Amino acid sequence: MAGNNTEEVEGSTVTETKTNSNAEVPPEFLIKHPLQNTWSLWFYDNDRNKTWEENLIELTTFDTVEDFWRLYHHIKLPSELRQGHDYAVFKQGIRPMWEDDANKMGGRWLISLEKKQRNSDLDRFWLDVVLLLIGENFEHSDEICGAVVNVRAKIDKIGIWTADTSKQHANLEIGRKLKEQLGIHGKIGFQVHRDTMVKHSSATKNLYTV
Amino acid sequence: MSASPIARQATHTQAIPSRRVLITDPTQMPDVYSSTPGGTLYSTTPGGTRIVYERSFMMSLRQSPISQTPPKCSLPAALLKNPGSVPHSQPSPVQKKSRSNSISFDESQETFSMDL
Repeated sequence: MAGNNTEEVEGSTVTETKTNSNAEVPPEFLIKHPLQNTWSLWFYDNDRNKTWEENLIELTTFDTVEDFWRLYHHIKLPSELRQGHDYAVFKQGIRPMWEDDANKMGGRWLISLEKKQRNSDLDRFWLDVVLLLIGENFEHSDEICGAVVNVRAKIDKIGIWTADTSKQHANLEIGRKLKEQLGIHGKIGFQVHRDTMVKHSSATKNLYTV
Repeated sequence: MSASPIARQATHTQAIPSRRVLITDPTQMPDVYSSTPGGTLYSTTPGGTRIVYERSFMMSLRQSPISQTPPKCSLPAALLKNPGSVPHSQPSPVQKKSRSNSISFDESQETFSMDL
């Protein structure tokens, strides 16, 4: 008997709570949504008096969808940065540099944007890339290391860094998904970091193309 | 049901996953009090292990009052947006809604007894 009573009481209060929150605040807005990974936000400052590594600053980390938005709402968009600046979002513990152990066998899918696309596409592409990463939208999301946006005088670049260039299947899946989700009509190429190190990126040949 | 699995876990009741482990000898008991027979108590969660969000869902969370609050870390001033351009959150009246569904316990009653 006592057990039955408890169940009835619980049932009625739950219904009541649900009705209340539907009318006022959706349940999604009452909690933070954890991410699979903790991500670091990096900033590259283009101070000529500092070395490349000194210019690279890890600003903060985030591990929920809401904490990502808090950052996003309060920092400048890529198109508002000065030329020479970068943002990078990497899994915590991976530095956004070729030399990091997680990157040295890796490469990047490269999206190049002409200057006229800075106002139309740069910020949208960057946000969509970051959401694809932190939402774990790739089938082979374990291969993802992070993403970088370079704001430059002529060509802005967004690079999606993966861990192992020899994993053709995984890298092609990531490239196809990127192209499809961003709505890119032209070709995008995948470059090996070891090649980018020795040549200017525009002269680097593509290992894969989608 | 529009709520995500995570919101459902946080806001709705659901059965607690349970598993029975038969102990036949004291040596089968873990030697630390923080562990339970058969493994750590919450070694698995309902709903799987990889957390995936679609773009549209994350975009909807952009409007959440929590998402509008300033980040806790200090950021270089050069990177901050102009204060005027930051969207202000609408103060939400039910933020501190009391948990009306908490079951009241008879505190005089012992929760459990244990033979030592």
